[in-house]
Amino acid sequence: MDKYIEMIRIRFLMMLAYRTNYYTGILIYSINIGAYYFLWKAIYGGKETIEGLSVLQMTTYVAVAWMARAFYFNNIDREMAMEIKEGKVAVELIRPYNYLTMKTMQGLGEGIFRLLFFSVPGMLIVSLIFPIRFSADIYTWALFFVSIILSFFINTQINLLTGMTTFFLFNNTGLIRAKRVIIDLFSGLLLPLSFFPEGIQEVLKFLPFQGISYVPSMIFTSGFSSSETVQAIFLQGIWVLILIVPIQALWILAKKMLVIQGG
Amino acid sequence: MFYIRMLGQYMGQYLKTRLQYRSDLVVELVSDLLFQAVNLIFIIVVFGHTDFLNGWSRDEIIFIYGFFLVPFALFSSFFNIWDFNERYIVKGELDRILTRPIHSLFQIVLERMELESLFGAITGFVVMGYAGARLGLTINWYDPILFCVFVIGGALVYAGVFILIACISFWADARTSIMPMMYNIGNYGRYPVDIYNTVIRFVLTWILPFAFVGVYPAAFFLRREEWYIYSFLTPVIGVVFFTISVFVWNEGVKRYRGAGN
Amino acid sequence: MKNAIEVQGLRKEFKSYSSRSGLKGAFRDLFSRNYKVLHAVNDISFSVKQGEMVGYIGENGAGKSTTIKMLTGILTPSAGEVMVNGMNPHKEREAFVQTIGVVFGQRSQLWWDIAVQESFRLLKKVYKVSDEEYDRHMGHVIQTLDIGPLLDKPVRKLSLGQRMRCELAAALIHNPPLLFLDEPTIGLDVLVKLKIRDFLKEINEKYNTTILLTTHDLTDIEALCDRVVMLDEGNIIYDGALQSLKETWGEGKEVQFQFMENVEITDLEKLTRDLPVKWELEEKEQRFIAYTTDEADAVSNLIGTVISSFQIKDVKIMEVSTEEIIRKIYEKGEV
Repeated sequence: MDKYIEMIRIRFLMMLAYRTNYYTGILIYSINIGAYYFLWKAIYGGKETIEGLSVLQMTTYVAVAWMARAFYFNNIDREMAMEIKEGKVAVELIRPYNYLTMKTMQGLGEGIFRLLFFSVPGMLIVSLIFPIRFSADIYTWALFFVSIILSFFINTQINLLTGMTTFFLFNNTGLIRAKRVIIDLFSGLLLPLSFFPEGIQEVLKFLPFQGISYVPSMIFTSGFSSSETVQAIFLQGIWVLILIVPIQALWILAKKMLVIQGG
Repeated sequence: MFYIRMLGQYMGQYLKTRLQYRSDLVVELVSDLLFQAVNLIFIIVVFGHTDFLNGWSRDEIIFIYGFFLVPFALFSSFFNIWDFNERYIVKGELDRILTRPIHSLFQIVLERMELESLFGAITGFVVMGYAGARLGLTINWYDPILFCVFVIGGALVYAGVFILIACISFWADARTSIMPMMYNIGNYGRYPVDIYNTVIRFVLTWILPFAFVGVYPAAFFLRREEWYIYSFLTPVIGVVFFTISVFVWNEGVKRYRGAGN
Repeated sequence: MKNAIEVQGLRKEFKSYSSRSGLKGAFRDLFSRNYKVLHAVNDISFSVKQGEMVGYIGENGAGKSTTIKMLTGILTPSAGEVMVNGMNPHKEREAFVQTIGVVFGQRSQLWWDIAVQESFRLLKKVYKVSDEEYDRHMGHVIQTLDIGPLLDKPVRKLSLGQRMRCELAAALIHNPPLLFLDEPTIGLDVLVKLKIRDFLKEINEKYNTTILLTTHDLTDIEALCDRVVMLDEGNIIYDGALQSLKETWGEGKEVQFQFMENVEITDLEKLTRDLPVKWELEEKEQRFIAYTTDEADAVSNLIGTVISSFQIKDVKIMEVSTEEIIRKIYEKGEV
């Protein structure tokens, strides 16, 4: 376990080392949230609520969705693709740790960094400029944190899966990009899933994407009732478990490929 | 002239390599199409809940999006420099570029070409055609000419901004994560900028002038006369930003430290 | 005769940032950072005549690559004058690189996915070489380097030695009067090395091409270069003929003995205590090595004395190798 915690720490330090990134990152996130705030205000026009969400809840939703994204988002699929293509994975395999766990921990290190140094100050700045309502209920905060941790795992698991496709496809940059676009849309980052037409909502209920952004953002904006909240978090947990299966399967296949091709 | 000949040479070479991996090409095209569809879905879903966006109708917004796709396709075919820092600075590929007798930026444009992105322009025309027909837009004899001018202007705006971001690598230890975030900001130029407050409108017009790749030029074809001044500024802003970016690039290359130091 | 390369007081400084240790330190780095200025190349001056073959040597980090990169226009010098082929490399870069060829041993100039001859064709256009010139010149290059059979293979399928020969040919497409080779033989086997050396000698004779070569492999330099420039910590510590370096530093002879019987090193030391000899034992092959002086009778006295007391299986008289000389110089830090 120590080695994985060390991995988190090192990633954390690596992130701190790139300070240009850090400053521009906060700025760009603020612009993002600002632009969406006005876009949504224009969409609401004079309306009080759409799909049960008020303008105030909607802006909070957008801000939280972007800030949570800073935590769960990572590029480990692209990193894996690069490491696999350059043949570094063969070396990683003989090291005394699990490659996939190690990648997850790196992602977690990055995520914690962004949460503390990006999301928190970013959220403060944004809340000064735009009307955002924070929940005063400690219970809501606790559930929100449980939920974004599960978000991180679901998103990372999907990244591991796309990353591993590098073993089987010659070039998967297109796939990685497509995955990103789909997650942005169907996870509820761009707009709450309740805005979609009924039919699409039905389909999305059976996909893991809603657990990435929609669930934590709805919890934070108190858009869910308490029974809905518990149900949603439970569902997130189920998806984390389900996704382990294809990951393990692909990993076993990939290791076989490595043995045959010699990396 | 020499540069145009080189462009031809590299394109030929590019097609040869590309055709070797045809299945890749298909995946790439599909993912491009998906990318374009997502934004369209967003617009359609949103307009399922409202009729007007600050006085702009659904079809007008869709038309702006269709227009945007054309300069964006041109930009992504030739300025695929989002991994400039990793590929050319960290791995030192710029060393090789600098030992050849062609302008360094032009060489990178040649090497990183992704011509299949041009298909995005087709999507753009289809989307514009759909929205234009529903809006009953008419085409004047000068429209195609202005369309080309605005498209090139818009592509130059995009190119200028992204070259400037790539140039950060010459001065600072920036990694690439600024670039993807910038793609998001590029999206906001596709909505009527009068929905934003003055700060964001100012940024989108003069600092990161993405509004010139979407709403401003498209407003001309939507006959929104109040925006005409901005529409005609499109090529000017494009040329200005691109010129600045090439100038900064040339300065940046002088500060290049080489790999492995 | 004009000079191909002329360098006056050339200097390159790099700012290097040091990060503080630990989490707290990293956090402080976010706001202010420590840096120090490194002098990668420190006011060096030298010149190379047209047609010379010069070896540029130094340890890792001595400033070899930095110099080469300044001479080829990749890096901008911090101070000093550089004139290569009558031009200022970084000022007139595009016109200038037309007159040089560059091979970086660790970095490919060729396009990875396309066949070698496609790369050549593209480079031919890049350097504006006419068809007749190309046929006349490259036909010969391709034949000498024996890469004809490789031309229709993609670069990624070539072995290192095959690739290196193609790289060399690619650098010569425009028949430049000046060739920079940075570690061209790194990782290659002996046969390929020999082929490359012969080829370089040949183009040097045929076209009077100037060659500046950096390498770790001193045998390359011995085979090719009459002159070496030696660099240490950004300063030139030696510039002159390889031969005179050997004469000054190659003092002493080395004699190796193997004996029929068991011999202790203390016996040998006792036996030769009146002679200027130092003994060493190479354990693995039970070889005793005696270092002695250059004086005319030193070696014969030594061998005479040893033979009179012990039965000998084998004797070898060696000169001190260039590698040994270079090592000695670096240990001392000056010439």
